[in-house]
This record gives sequence, structure tokens and C-alpha cells, in this order.
Amino acid sequence: MPSDAAVITTGLRKVFRVPVREAGLAAATRSLVRREHRDVVAVGGVDLRIEPGEVVGFLGPNGAGKTTTLKMLSGLLHPTSGTVRVLGHEPFRRERDYLRRMTLVMGNRNQLQWDLPALDSFELSRAIYRLPEDLFLRQRDELIDLLDLGALVDKPVRNLSLGERMKAEIANSLLHRPEILFLDEPTLGLDVTMQRRIRSFLADYNRRHGASVMLTTHYMADVEALCKRVIVIHHGAILFDGALTDLSEQFAAHKTLVVTLERPTDPSSWSRYGDVVASTPTRATLRVGREATAAVVASILSDHDVRDLTVEDPPIDEVIELAFASAEAPS
Amino acid sequence: MTATDTVATTLADRPIDYEPTWRAYIRLYGTLMRTSIAQQFQYRTANYLYMIGMIAEPVVYLVVWQTIAEAQGGEVGGYTAGTFAAYYIVWTLVRNMNIVFTPFGWEERIREGQLSAQLVLPVHPIHYDLGSFAGWKVVVIALWLPIAGVLALVFRPTLDPTAGQIVAFAVAIWGAYLIRSLFLWLLGMLTFFTTRVTAIFEAYFAAELLLSGRLIPMALMPEWVQTLAMFLPFESTFGFPITALVGPITQEELVVGLLLQLFWIVVGAVAVRFAWRGAVKHYTAVSG
Amino acid sequence: MSPVDPASASASEPRRGSSLRIPLLHLRVGVMNELQYRANFAVQLLQTFVQVATGLIALALIFDHTTDLNGWTRPQLIVVLGMYNVVGGMIGFAIEPNMGRLMADVRLGTFDYVLTKPVDAQLLASAREFRLWRLTDVAVGIGVTIWGVVQLDDGLSLGRLVGFVAATTVGIVLVYCIWLVVTTGAFWIVRMDMVQDLFTGMYRAGQYPVTVYPAWLRLTMTYLVPVGFAVTVPAESLTGRLTWERVVLTVVFLVVALGVTRLVWRLGTKHYAGASA
Repeated sequence: MPSDAAVITTGLRKVFRVPVREAGLAAATRSLVRREHRDVVAVGGVDLRIEPGEVVGFLGPNGAGKTTTLKMLSGLLHPTSGTVRVLGHEPFRRERDYLRRMTLVMGNRNQLQWDLPALDSFELSRAIYRLPEDLFLRQRDELIDLLDLGALVDKPVRNLSLGERMKAEIANSLLHRPEILFLDEPTLGLDVTMQRRIRSFLADYNRRHGASVMLTTHYMADVEALCKRVIVIHHGAILFDGALTDLSEQFAAHKTLVVTLERPTDPSSWSRYGDVVASTPTRATLRVGREATAAVVASILSDHDVRDLTVEDPPIDEVIELAFASAEAPS
Repeated sequence: MTATDTVATTLADRPIDYEPTWRAYIRLYGTLMRTSIAQQFQYRTANYLYMIGMIAEPVVYLVVWQTIAEAQGGEVGGYTAGTFAAYYIVWTLVRNMNIVFTPFGWEERIREGQLSAQLVLPVHPIHYDLGSFAGWKVVVIALWLPIAGVLALVFRPTLDPTAGQIVAFAVAIWGAYLIRSLFLWLLGMLTFFTTRVTAIFEAYFAAELLLSGRLIPMALMPEWVQTLAMFLPFESTFGFPITALVGPITQEELVVGLLLQLFWIVVGAVAVRFAWRGAVKHYTAVSG
Repeated sequence: MSPVDPASASASEPRRGSSLRIPLLHLRVGVMNELQYRANFAVQLLQTFVQVATGLIALALIFDHTTDLNGWTRPQLIVVLGMYNVVGGMIGFAIEPNMGRLMADVRLGTFDYVLTKPVDAQLLASAREFRLWRLTDVAVGIGVTIWGVVQLDDGLSLGRLVGFVAATTVGIVLVYCIWLVVTTGAFWIVRMDMVQDLFTGMYRAGQYPVTVYPAWLRLTMTYLVPVGFAVTVPAESLTGRLTWERVVLTVVFLVVALGVTRLVWRLGTKHYAGASA
């Protein structure tokens, strides 16, 4: 097996046994005696291969199995079956050598000492990861610089805003120069400016150090800015794995045409080109089948005096919704 | 993708020259204690109020037993009003020393994801608790001194330890700290396996109250209770450190007591090691 | 869906004094809620028994070495222990949860909701949360008290019983007053939870009659943490130790405490409204 990939999984599965709870006192009493269980497949046979230095966006609705997969990759969960190797290690063994080379950031978790400046938490991380002084200082100062933390690291963490805290949190989890980053919703709840800041930092960090990054997010802007490759997961199975640009090719059956005319026309005449999303006498937004796009564009251009015409893929979150919808309807 | 390729090789080319284990542990404990001292010092008022609230318990015991000693002609089971005072004043320090991470805290630790956060770090989580509570103890000892002064003025203790007793006491309070940390960790780990832990914890603490010397000096207990206590770790965390300083205690008893503490530390550490493995296995199988 | 629909509840009891309706409603909702968690009842019961058992063991140890504690005999001390559990249970049932909630409300700013209701705010804030299962302490405490009383040499008269009931009621109201005053401090100083710890810690001293303690502690226990009034005075009346001076003193203290509490509460809410506006 080639072990130069950052992550390799085959048939990775996680099944949880959950007690079945029925409403009502009688059922509750019965369950005291004999608990009934039901198997819930959180991740159902996932094959993955991620190369060193890749940034992969991990998308899916709540409960799709994203976090469960990340937890199996970071060693917090033992797979029910299947194999998993990250940086050549089996994560669930939680070997020190492995833990020292990876990091897991959860957007809603705080690992910094609440009442103390972030610098003190950095010192603690240095001790935990057994970092030699020169490397620690170099890495720390670089992160402070890249994340623009200079004025914040000596204030008690409790006095920082949510976004500032997240930046300090990210710095803290990268001090040991991990080779692979698992980021679970790193931008959750942050304002738009701060999201953008963290995104550009992650892209920059990846470029500089060549670390592999796997991130889950609900913000499509994160994906568009960072991830060349996306993996869409739904009901514990991979629905799509490929370049972000191919995602629309595969799932969006339509494109959006926006036409602006030099002279007004009868608004009702738009419907012969496609589904009308919005229209005025001089302007229309149309939904056109992917295959028919070229022909429709040609006929609009020949029928009208066109000032401006754009063809767009639908917004990425719409595409993803379409992908989920396609998974729901067995075809 | 040439950029990625070149950088990827540099990461592999620059393996980190990790610090040696022993130095890393010294650094870890040093840092944990330092940060915890800084943190707890910020909460000194809260710490003080908490410590003062705690004084009520030993003062109640003390007043009751001083009353009895006086009614019995000055002495009960070898204790005078003065030695009772010494016992329960030293009690306050020993009690503060053996407040450790509560077994009730595990539920929150698991629910709030702090446990997950600790599991991805390359250090056994018990070191955080041992290190940071040890730092807190330093603050507690500093805050305790004036309280002890006031109590001594009010209750007039008779305290005349030898140098050997003082040294043994200084060691024994840390031994007590370690033993109680390990055993309460062990107890707390039950949280991984069942949700009905409160009852077990309560029973444990009740047994501890009676068998440790917390309620009354073990010498005042019936013979069979004293015998029973010899086979349990409780007395090493309460009665022994107090008696080490207050007496009456012989040189041999001091040494035996310290060795017994060492024994319980080893037992606790081994038990924690195995229980932790089982607990993590269970945790990574079902919750994460 | 809430188990009690406020509209129908008020419709079915139209003539009840309006000021008491809301606390009673809260009580009902609280009871319904807690009934869903019967496991808590088992745990609480165990806790109660452990507590009473250790109290009784402590008494047994004391009387292993002496025949009386500062003039109090063993059955009399059993009465005190019983009353300690009764009053502790009442505090845990009705006083502590409400004071804890009040403190949290002030800290989080949700106290606004209390002030904006068309009801007396002090009443509302004092009777919103109830921990039903803490009543096991009361029940077991009553049992222990009775067990102590039947062992008393000189029996029990109707007068003593009436005095006992009155003294217990007064004692619990006093505990409420002082605890509310302390909690009201939260309006000025946000971190008051440690004061609560202090209070709870001091309450433990009520296991023994306050007359056992040296003067400074006796005064603290009586007037600051009025466990003396709440536990010792009822126990004194049961065991025939109550004097007329005590009765008068208790009534005077009650009146003063109620007035001061109301005043401090007014000042506190005024300060809160001023600070948050």
C-alpha cells in the first residue's frame, strides 16, 4: 500500500448503537428492564485518499457524518470496520508520534486558558508538544504575525472577541507545526471580515508549510476560497469527490442566463427561451437546461439587440442542495 | 502544483527535534503550575470566601469535641482541648490540600467536549489535573496561613512537633494530594460507563468521611473501625498527615505512614492506568 | 406544550388571592417537571439517608465518650439533627433554587423579565423554582425529630407543639430574609455565588444547638446565618427549653428582618433598573 498519501481510508464505517426511546411512561418503565437498541450508520463505507498539501472541503448537512469522519481521522473514534491511515498511523491507537503531527480545531471549543493571556497557553502547548525553544519561538512569532495577533496575545483570553479568540485558538493549535489539520467549522459564528481573515490565513499557511487541510464548514465562501477539492457526504456516504468546478457540472442541470437588451421587448416573450426567474421589458433572468445553453444563447443573440449577457452556474450552496436532493430521490 | 511539492518535502526534511521526555514533563508541570497560580490568584477573593465557608465544618467538630474534653475532665481518648484544636486547625490545611478534580466534573467534561480536546493532545490528561491543581495548592497554602493564625488565636492549639514531624508532614500533604487525585480520578471514570454515578460518589464520600479521620481523629473511633480503615486509602489522605504534625506519633509510625502513602500512590497510579485505557476504549467506541 | 396552561389554571381558581396564584402555579409546574425525573428521587433519597446516617453516627461517637453535650442529652440532640434536616430540606426545596436563579438572572440580564411582569417582583423572584425531591430531607428530618421526641424523658405538651410549629415557620422565613438580602447584593456586585458557598458552609454548624458554640460563633449562627433561629429555637421549644425572652426576641427579629429585606430589595431593584437602563 502506498503510504505517501496523507490520508487513506477504505470502507471506513461507524455504526452507533442507540437506545430506542418511545414516548410515555409505560415505554420508559419497559426500557428499564429491557433496553431496545437500534443501529445508526453514521458513516457507511467511505474510501478516501488525500495527498500531502491538499486542502479538502468536507461538505454535508448536519448529521451527514462529517464530524464522525473527522473524529475517526483524528483518533477520537474507533471505526466499526474498514481501515484508516493518517500520516502512516492508525489514528485510533492515539500514538504520541501521531498526535504530535496533527491538530484538530473545533470552532465551538475553547482550548485556551480563559483567564490568562494567550501567550501563557502557547507556553503550555510548547510543553505539551515538547517543542525545542528555537522552533517554538519561530513558529509562534510567525503565527502571531500571519494572524495579526500582536496586540492581542498579552490580553486575557476572556477579554477577546469571538473572532479574536478563534485566531488565537488557531495559532495555538498550529504551534507544533502539524502536517495535517482537521478543522471542524473553524469560522462558525464569526463575522464576515473575520471569516475572510481566517480563510486567507489558512490558504497562506497551507502554501507556506504544505500541510494537508481537511475542513468542514457551512459557509460556501470558505469552500470557494480554500478548497480546490470538495467531498460531499450525505447519510454517511460520499456523494461527490472532485474539483469544486465539476460539482456544478454534475449536479446542476441548469445554468442561469442574465440578459440585458438595448430596446424593450414584450416580457411575455421570454418564456420561449427557458424558465423566467425575473423579467422587465429590458432585462431578464432565465433558467436554462445545461445542454440547451449554447443554443438558447445563440437564438437570443439572433432575436434581440443584446447589450449584455452572462451565463452563470447556480450559487454553490444551491448546487450542494441539488446534490443532496438528488441523493434523496433514488433515480 | 510545484509549490506544494517543494514545501511538502521541506516539512518532511525538517523533523522536529523534540525535547527529551524528562525535561518535557518538568516543563509541563512547571507551566501548568505557573498558569494555575496566575489564574487562581486572580480569584483570590472567591478562593478566600470558599475557604472561610469551609472552616465551618472543622470548627463544628472542634467545638463539640472541646466541649466533651472539658466535660470529661480535660481529656478524651488522649486528646485535650489543645490537641483537638491543633488537629482541626491542621485539618483545614489538609482538607484544602486534598480538594482535587471532583468525580462529578467528568460528566461536564465529556458533555462540553473538553475531554475530546484533551484526547488529541500527546499527553495523558491526568497531568493537567495534577499540575494545575498542584499550582492551586500553592495559592491555597499562602491564603491559608492567615486563616490558621486567626483560628490559632481563637482556639489555642497545643502543637509541638519535632523537626522530623514537620518534614514528614510537608511530604505527607503532597502524598495525600496525590492519593486523593488518583482515587477520585478512578471514581470519576465510572462516568464513562454509566449515568447513575451520583449514588456511588455519595457512598464513597460518606465512607471517606467516617474512615479517614475527617469527622473525628481515628483514635476516637471504635477498634474495629480503626482496623477496617487500615486496609483503605482514606486515612492516608486525612488522618495520617494531620497526626504526622499534631501527634502523638513515633518515628517508626511516621516512616510506616509515608510508606503506606507510597503504596497507595502506586496502587492508584496502576489502577488509573488500566481504568483509563478501558474508559478511552469505551469512549472512542461510542461517543467521541 | 407546558403541562399547566396558565389561562385555564387561573380560570379554575378565580377567587384565590391574586398574589399567591403565581407562586402556586410555579410550584405546580415545578412539581410536574420533577415528577418526570424519578431517578433523581432515588438519588436524593440516598443522599438524605447518607446525611442523616452520618449525623447519627457522629452523635453515637459523641455519646461514646460523654453523657451530655453542654447540657443537651442524646434525644434532644437527635431532635436538633432532625430539625436541621427539616430546615435544610425546606431551604433546598424553595429558598436556594430561587436565590440561585435570581443571581443567574441578574448576571445574565434576564432579570428584566421579572421586573416587567405585573406582579410583585420580590414575590415572583422568591417563588419560581422548586426542587421537589429535596422534600425527602424534610420527610426524613420529621421522622428523626419524632424519633428523638419519643425518647425525651418529659414527653410533649400541646403548648410545646404549637410553639414548635410557630418557631419553625418563623425560622424558615428568617432564613429566607437573610438569604434574599445576601442575594440582593448581586445587584451591586455581580459575583455573589461564592457568598452562597460561604452561607451553605456556615449552615452546617446548625447540626448542633447553637448554645454549644462559643459566643462569637453563636451570635454569627443566630443573626447572620439564622440557623440558630431556624433549628435551635424550634428544637428548644420541643424539648421544653424555650424561654419567654427568646420568644419575644424572635418576634422582634422577624419583624426587623422582614422590613430590612423589603428595603434592601427595593434599593437593589432600583439600582438594577438604573444601571441597565
